[in-house]
Amino acid sequence: MEENSNNDIIVTENVKKVYSENGVPVHAVKGIDLTISSGEFTAIVGPSGSGKTTFLNIISGLDDVTEGKVWLNGKLISSMKSRELSDFRRDNIGFIFQAYNLIPVLTAEENIEYIMLLQGVPKEERHERVVKMLEEVGLKGMENRIPTKLSGGQQQRVAIARAMVSRPTIILADEPTANLDSKTGAELLDMMRHLNERTGMTFVFSTHDNMVMERARRLITLKDGQVESDEMRN
Amino acid sequence: MVTLKIAFRNTLRQKRRTILTALTMLVGFILASVSIGWAGGTYSHVIDMFTRNRIGHIQIHAKGYMGKPSLHKSISQDRPVFEKIKNQKGIESWTSRVYSVGLASLKEKTGGIQITGIDVDKEVKTTNFDKKITQGRNLSKDSYKEALIGKGLSKILLADVGDDVIVISQGADGSIANDIYTVVGITDSGNEEADRTGFYIDLSDAQNLLVLGKRIHEIVIVCTDLDKVKKITNTLKSELAEYDLEVSPWQETAKSFYNAMQADLQGMWLMIFVIVLIIAVQVLNSVLMSVLERTREYGVLKAVGTRPFQVFKLVIFEVSIIAVASVLIGSLLSTFINHLLSVYGINLSEPFSYGGIEFNKLSSQVSARSVYLPAIIVILSSAGISVIPAIRAARTVAAKAMRSI
Repeated sequence: MEENSNNDIIVTENVKKVYSENGVPVHAVKGIDLTISSGEFTAIVGPSGSGKTTFLNIISGLDDVTEGKVWLNGKLISSMKSRELSDFRRDNIGFIFQAYNLIPVLTAEENIEYIMLLQGVPKEERHERVVKMLEEVGLKGMENRIPTKLSGGQQQRVAIARAMVSRPTIILADEPTANLDSKTGAELLDMMRHLNERTGMTFVFSTHDNMVMERARRLITLKDGQVESDEMRN
Repeated sequence: MVTLKIAFRNTLRQKRRTILTALTMLVGFILASVSIGWAGGTYSHVIDMFTRNRIGHIQIHAKGYMGKPSLHKSISQDRPVFEKIKNQKGIESWTSRVYSVGLASLKEKTGGIQITGIDVDKEVKTTNFDKKITQGRNLSKDSYKEALIGKGLSKILLADVGDDVIVISQGADGSIANDIYTVVGITDSGNEEADRTGFYIDLSDAQNLLVLGKRIHEIVIVCTDLDKVKKITNTLKSELAEYDLEVSPWQETAKSFYNAMQADLQGMWLMIFVIVLIIAVQVLNSVLMSVLERTREYGVLKAVGTRPFQVFKLVIFEVSIIAVASVLIGSLLSTFINHLLSVYGINLSEPFSYGGIEFNKLSSQVSARSVYLPAIIVILSSAGISVIPAIRAARTVAAKAMRSI
């Protein structure tokens, strides 16, 4: 397997994606070359149909490429098989979804623990990490609640904890604040920024939200499936 | 373990669907269990009645007698055959018979007869012979020249209880055998053909008439358990191998009856197949709906690193949990129903007769078979049919399922 061993977490090389919609080819991504380094807090922005979601799906291995190559944490994921990709995602990527997407029958604690169970982390270590994470995201005392007994903000906190607790290489967040009120959204973004600074974990957002853009240290704007601008900020 | 935990909680989460699916399985289980119990009970009853009427469960003859009966193909009562039968476990009782044909006359009337010499004591213990006597009495224990005749024969000879009938036959030594017997009773076996020729006398009377000495033609055995007939037959076959005898289970001596029973049993399997089909369609429908509704969930599970096989297992576990619960409840209910049906049975408004035997009540049977067989059927058919939606769930494309990450 091809490997890329420098400090770059994500490297894409001439990535293209063509969908077929009712027999009509749709060029969603038109050759993106991009590098995201370890510890970045990056937002991919752009209008609807700009290809940001498709691009995020591709760099997470959820969608395949029509052409080009994608390396994540030095591994060429664009040529991995389904099971290999599952294991790779489990160990390297933390996901935060717009709709939280927690497992509805598991409690907050069990949701956070789930990926570690798949990874085979020993019970005591799992418990230790979950307790620590619950405290970190401000959910201490709510560990036994199932998702429907939590507010949107609390559910998203569980999702953040779930994404981070397995210590992935990168966190990919798709519109994480879209379903939250602005106050809760801001609180969560500040928390993620703080976690990024404290742990050095890489965050990549796909968003429309100005609050995310304001806090991002790098802003990549997509338009018509191509990078329109790539701006580093302080 | 976590997959099992999620599966279990998912079954509680969609209560209405779980109850509906479980009810389908439960009803299917009970139907299958009661069908098997009923068939087992009915067939055991019919077979027992039929075999105890005359043929018994196992018959022993001299080699070649079954294919071509002859007065000379006989078994000596002195041989250790009888000791071996006595010592064989699982035998309830046994009796010996001799057979021949002849002519019976009373005044101007004459009729062909089938002479059957019976050991009265043993015959009564082994078959329902005495219950077929409709007039008069059975042969007495130390009967001497008494006879029971079939209802049809009594009409042919215009004979009644107390009449003396002359019998002519051939002795084993070639002599003309003849004697006079007093009719002490009339039998009605329900088999008209047999009753037109039926002429029963004591075993020793028959041996004297036919000059057979201490020889008999047939040994009829009744076992304590119908299910063990074949096993006991095989044991006797090997134990009596040196005596040049034929040991036949009822399935061979009453081949057409056995075939009719088997054909009837096919009906039960057809019914079970229909039950399986109903369960399978309902479970498939229910699980497919559930999988379609939860496509997004499967997408999320796969996105966060759950392997396709784990998603597959999740669906199979959910269905299996419901199936096992249905089987447990179904086992209790169906055992109770089968128990009631075995104790009280169902009285038939119109009795039916088979092989000359009248049946006016049918009953079920509580057996391990009526529990484990439906359990296997329900669990395997449910889990089996769930493979289709499980594969669909396992193949969920995460990106498509979630629309976006």
